[in-house]
Order: sequence, then C-alpha cells, then structure tokens
Amino acid sequence: MEKPVRSIVIVGGGTAGWITAGRIAAEHQHDSAQAVQVTLVESPTIGIIGVGEGTWPTMRNTLMKLGVSETDFFRECNASFKQGAKFAKWVNGADDDFYYHPLMLPQGFQKGDLSSAWQREGSAQSFSEAVCYQEAVCEHGLSPKLITTPEFASLANYAYHLDAGKFAAFLQKHCTTKLGVKHVLADVTRVVAAESGDIAAVEVERAESNGSDQIAGDLFVDCTGFSSLLLGKHFEVPFVDRSDVLFIDRAIAVQVPYADDDSPIASHTISTGQEAGWIWDIGLSNRRGVGYVYSSRHTTETEAESTLRNYVGDEFSELSPRKIPITSGHRELFWKNNCVAVGLSAGFLEPLEASALVLVELSAEMIAEQLPACRSVMDITAKRFNETFLYRWDRIVDFLKLHYILSEREEPFWVDNRKPESIPDSLQALMSLWKFRAPGDHDFTSNNEVFPAASYQYVLYGMGFKTNMNWRSASDAERMFAQEQFALNERAVRQALDTLPSNRELISKIKQYGFAAI
Amino acid sequence: MAKLVSLHNSIHQELRISPEKAEYHGAELNMVPVMLSEFLKLAVQFPIALTKNKETGKFACVAMLGFAEKENLFWQHSKLDTLYTPLHIFRQPFFLGRNDAEGHSVTDSDQQYVVCFDAESNSVVSEGGELLFTSAGEETPYLQKMKAVLAELLDGETRTHTFVETLLELGLLTSMQLDITFANGESQRVNGMYTIDEKKLNALSGDTVVRLHNEGYLAHIYAMVTSTGQIYSLIQKKNARLSAAALNV
Ligand SMILES: Cc1cc2nc3c(=O)[nH]c(=O)nc-3n(C[C@H](O)[C@H](O)[C@H](O)COP(=O)(O)OP(=O)(O)OC[C@H]3O[C@@H](n4cnc5c(N)ncnc54)[C@H](O)[C@@H]3O)c2cc1C
Repeated sequence: MEKPVRSIVIVGGGTAGWITAGRIAAEHQHDSAQAVQVTLVESPTIGIIGVGEGTWPTMRNTLMKLGVSETDFFRECNASFKQGAKFAKWVNGADDDFYYHPLMLPQGFQKGDLSSAWQREGSAQSFSEAVCYQEAVCEHGLSPKLITTPEFASLANYAYHLDAGKFAAFLQKHCTTKLGVKHVLADVTRVVAAESGDIAAVEVERAESNGSDQIAGDLFVDCTGFSSLLLGKHFEVPFVDRSDVLFIDRAIAVQVPYADDDSPIASHTISTGQEAGWIWDIGLSNRRGVGYVYSSRHTTETEAESTLRNYVGDEFSELSPRKIPITSGHRELFWKNNCVAVGLSAGFLEPLEASALVLVELSAEMIAEQLPACRSVMDITAKRFNETFLYRWDRIVDFLKLHYILSEREEPFWVDNRKPESIPDSLQALMSLWKFRAPGDHDFTSNNEVFPAASYQYVLYGMGFKTNMNWRSASDAERMFAQEQFALNERAVRQALDTLPSNRELISKIKQYGFAAI
Repeated sequence: MAKLVSLHNSIHQELRISPEKAEYHGAELNMVPVMLSEFLKLAVQFPIALTKNKETGKFACVAMLGFAEKENLFWQHSKLDTLYTPLHIFRQPFFLGRNDAEGHSVTDSDQQYVVCFDAESNSVVSEGGELLFTSAGEETPYLQKMKAVLAELLDGETRTHTFVETLLELGLLTSMQLDITFANGESQRVNGMYTIDEKKLNALSGDTVVRLHNEGYLAHIYAMVTSTGQIYSLIQKKNARLSAAALNV
C-alpha cells in the first residue's frame, strides 16, 4: 500500500499550533505502532502574538476533546465566562446606545420567529432584551451556571475569556505530557522541497546545538502566525486583501488591573464604538484586556492612543500599550500540496466577533477528523478544506460588515463604512430580502455556516433595522405564540436573576473548590 | 436559626435535653447527610445517594427522606418513624465547636473541639428529659453517649469524604434520573441526586475490585446500589400520604 500519513509536523506554538496539535493527537492517540506522531516546532526567539482573549462556545467542545479539566483551565488561564457581546455606541454614539449579541438563541427560535412580533408591537424593550434572558444575566454581572453544575455543562450557554499567553502554555503542557506531542524548540530556517513540490522537511536551527538538522513529515501545518512561513512564503499562495470591506488595520492593546480583588467581572465582551473603530473590553479573572482597533486611514496613532486613554482612564499612563498592525484578509487557499495553514497564517479579520479562534478550532477539527490516510487522497481533502473555509471567511466578512452598515454615526470612518461599494454583493442581497422579512434559517443553508440566522437578527434589530411587515398580517396563531414566548422569556429572566451567582463569585469558587466532572 | 453555646458543667448543670424532641430537627428534612459507618443500617430503609453541596459543589452522601423540599415522609405523629435514626439527626442538639480567641464558638474546624448545644432547640426542656451533668459536675451517661456520637461524626466525615473521592476517581458516579408519577397523577422530577453507575461498577478490573474490598468500600458500594430500591418504599409512603389527604378533604 501507499505510504500512510503518519508524521505530522506543526510549525508554530501559538494557540493555533497547540490546538491543532492537540486535536490531531487526541483523535489519533493509541498505543499501537500505527499511531500518528505529531511534532510541534516552535521558535525560541519569535514570541506568540499573545492577544486573542475572546472565544466561542465551541471552545468548550474543543477543551473536552483535548481531555483537559475545565477547573484546571480556569485556574491556569485566568479564564472567565463570556455570554455574548455588548455593542455600545454603534448606532449613534449616545450613552444609552447599546444592544446585545448573546450566545443563546431568541426564546422559542426553533419553533417560530419572534422578531416580526417584536417589531409589530413596538415593544418598549430592545430586541435582545425582549427575546433572550441572557442580556439580563449579563447586565447583572451574573455567571451562566452554578458551582453544582458539572464541568462544561451550562444553564445559560457560554464561552470563555482567557489569557492568550497562559492558554498557549496550558495547552503545551497538556499536549506534551498527556497527548504525546513532541515539542521541538527551534527556528525553521528553510523549507526542503521534494521533487513533487511537496514539503519533504523543514530545516531547523536548535537553540541548544550548533548547526542545523531536518525534520521530515507527511503533512505540515503552518501555524507561524502573520509570517505565514510555509503557505505564504514558501508556496507563495496569494493573500486576498479584504480591507476594501473591513477598514481596521491597527490595534493598541493594554492590560488593565482591577481596582481590587472583588471588582465585578463582566460576563460578556464589551465593544464600544469610537471615532475610527471600536474598543474591546474583556474581563479575565485577574485583569481586563482592553484594546482599540482602528483604521489608520481615518485617525492617527496619537489620536488613537488618546482615545484609548480616555476609555481606560487615569491608570492608562502606568500601562504599557502594545501596537499591532493588522491586515484584513486571508490566503486564496489554505491547503496546498501537503501543507495546511491554521490561525493567523491563514488570515485575520478584525476581532469583532472573536472569529479567529473559532476558525482555528474548526480547521483543527476538520484536519483531525478527516486526516487523509495517504498522500494520494490528500488533494481531495485539501479541495474540500479550501471550499469549506473560503465559504466561512466570506460569511464572516459579511457578518462583520453588517455591524457597520446600519450605523448612523457621522465620523468619516462610519460614513465610509456605509458606502455601497464597500458592501459585498452577498450581504447587499440579504439586506434587500430582509427589508420584507426577518432573517431565517432558510437564508443560511450550508453545512458550513458560522453564524446562525439568530445572530443576524440580534445585530440587525439591535442596530435599529426595520423589516417592513405591512405586506402581511400576523395570524392569530403567530400572535399567541409570540405572547407565550415573551412571557416565557420574562419568567426565564426572573428565574435566572434568582438563581445565578455573580461571575466573580463563581470564578472564585471554581478556584477554591472546582467543578465535578458529572 | 441555631444558636450555639459551648457547654459548661457549672453553667449547664440544670440543663435538660429531651431526646425525643431532638427529632424535631429532622421534621422538615428531605435528606440528611450520612456517614459511611451507617450505610448498612440505613440501607434497609432509606435510599442512600449523593448530592452536591450548594455552596461548594462538593459531593456528600445523604439518605433520602422525601421528594419535595421540606418533605420528610418518615415524620409521622410528631416523631420519626424509622428503624434507625441517622446520626446527624440523633446528634441533635449537640455540635462540636472550637473556642476562638474571643470565646465565640466556631463549628467545623479541626482545632481543639468543645461540645456546644443549640440553645434555641425545642429539645431544651425545663422538665423531664435528660440531665447532662451530675450534681458533682460529672458527665452523665447520656452526655457521654452523645459525645461519642459527635466523635463518630467527626471521624466519619473524613472517612466518608475519602470514600466519595475514590468513587469520583474511578468514575463510579452517575446522576439519577427520577421522574416520578404519584398515585394522584401528580408528577415530580428529582434533580441533583447521584448514585453508583452499575455499568461502570460491573466493568471494574479485578485489581480495582480487590483494592475497593481492601479499603472496606465494596460492601458500602453494594449497600448503596441495593438501597436505591428503597425509592419505591418512599413513593409508597408518599402515595399513602396523598390518599390520606384526599380522604380528609
Ligand atoms: C488585536 C488582536 C485581537 C484579537 N482578538 C481575538 C479575539 O478576541 N478572539 C479570537 O478568537 N482571536 C483574536 N485574535 C486572533 C488570535 O490572537 C489568533 O488567532 C490566535 O492567537 C492564534 O495565533 P497563531 O497561533 O496563529 O499565531 P501566533 O500566536 O503569532 O504564533 C506564531 C507561532 O509561530 C512561531 N514561528 C514563527 N516563525 C517561526 C519560525 N521561523 N520557526 C519556528 N517557529 C516560528 C512563533 O514562535 C509562534 O510560536 C486577535 C488578534 C489580534 C491581532
């Protein structure tokens, strides 16, 4: 038989590298000699990006698949709960201008749509408040579960906020001690090509020994971050620039300490619109991570820094801001020959909906679960992988852009964002449909969707979009259904406020007692 | 609310405790914490299960006395109708406390222990009952017995805790799915109870079974498994109550 895919070499030890290594190793771990060997090569000199603190609920599944304990994860990564995002000052910049994109579907979403009823009745409550109890949970700083809830299980759906640096170290320890991943600290200096054009090996210079040696493999995973060493540099796969749609190209990030040990921890990411971009605010268990992502075409670095200073307050002067350039876009292909890129090496879009790590998770999952048995079938997997992920990048671009196009803010950054030539056709088509009916599952029918119709509803109606419902009137059944669901949501709010502890309280308890596995 | 006072032979020479009335402390308990040393005695009458402490999420062994909150189906005619009274009820109104610097008693510490009693307990009576000290200030046999019970509880807590840790380590616990429909059609879901996973128990390796046997746990594990059958007698008790209530309407 043809030579099977046995040896997988991952270059890069950021979150992308370790998640991919762990998923593949866990999926193919067994005692027999047939086991797939995963080797991760990481530069001892080039650091990881060290930002990226917001995740999706998919991270719970990823951690379970890796076989880590949620308690250890909370303790070692300064993690906290994330139950959605609060978008403040995106519509008109007023102080009371905000809406939520929670992690739970609108009440009764599987059975029927509430957005039409909510619009007809001209409810005093915002859409997210009227249809999802999670907004109230977040507004009260409550956690999504109890200390008696088993690990990874939830009462309200949740994801995490985590310390990116600690997370990579945590995964490294688990992958090397529990999953048999070989860890090589060395700089990759050269790619050794085979006659077929595949990568035969990477040449490395190890820290401890002089001279270089080669690490051969059957499949290479490029997790080298923005440098995209294998896919970008070696294979010269072109970069598809999306900055015509998404303008943000700079970040300044700071770590802000809490006032004291009992300061409340927000249970959601807060994203606040600014003159030329927006500020993320993520509460970890031990500090906040705050950063301004902006468009350098619309503001200067000095102005951006003072915007961030205004947001953070006096203590800003004691912090050391990190500046990170960002290019919006992705590679034209992600899998070429025997090399697949995961993480920043594949591409990056502004972190508005924390879509980077979820793409890492989805990529790692697909590679682990559909690992080609041998080289001759690899091109088929590669083709599928490329189709799947190109579709996903496109949908993410659409969904991120949606956040901008309904704003009424007047600063040039916001005005430019509304220009039709900056809005993808696919999004414009959906917007035309949604003038007359609400987003529904029928608008998103691929197996590879990233955001469900509910997410579009939260953003559309949160931003004040009006779907014209006059052309059809609601049936009695629809009215009854809506009333029932609104009442159920009110009940769920009361119940949640009665039972859930504060985010801070639960996180302290996790540190002290831990979650049980059942 | 309990008001704990540390016991003194001079101050409390006249104090009388009624053991029967002490049972009132169990009147509204639908479950009671139990010790490993009690399992065999409990299993003939109560389901023994585990539940999580609401504050810490830690597992504790309990005997089930009822289904709904505050429902003790063994509470009949102002007394506990049981063959064996769980130590946690039997010990009432006594507790172990520690005297801290200011002289306030604090329970649940592994420092030097002093015996306390709940001064608000119904069992503190002015006539009848049991005296705690003789006129010479010596402990009566009743107090000696109660102190032995407290010592057994203290020791039993650690042993029971280690037992639970072993069950968790071996993955032997599973959550109990109880959807009960009573004779009057009323139904109830019992949440938050855990029991032995019999499939996992049966799949244990010989070595592990020997280890459990050597630690003295095997009999207790099987006592728990058997005791879950007592849920049916609890249901019967509840049905009897419901039909008695229906007749009284
Ligand atoms: C401002 C900002 C905010 C973000 N916020 C979020 C967010 O909220 N949510 C989210 O999901 N994502 C977010 N991201 C994205 C997230 O940070 C990344 O997707 C994630 O950290 C994965 O990075 P990586 O592992 O691909 O790259 P990196 O962390 O950059 O790792 C690259 C690795 O490659 C190694 N390497 C490079 N060159 C060589 C070489 N020659 N030889 C050997 N090794 C080499 C390095 O040593 C390093 O280990 C954000 C990103 C930015 C910039």
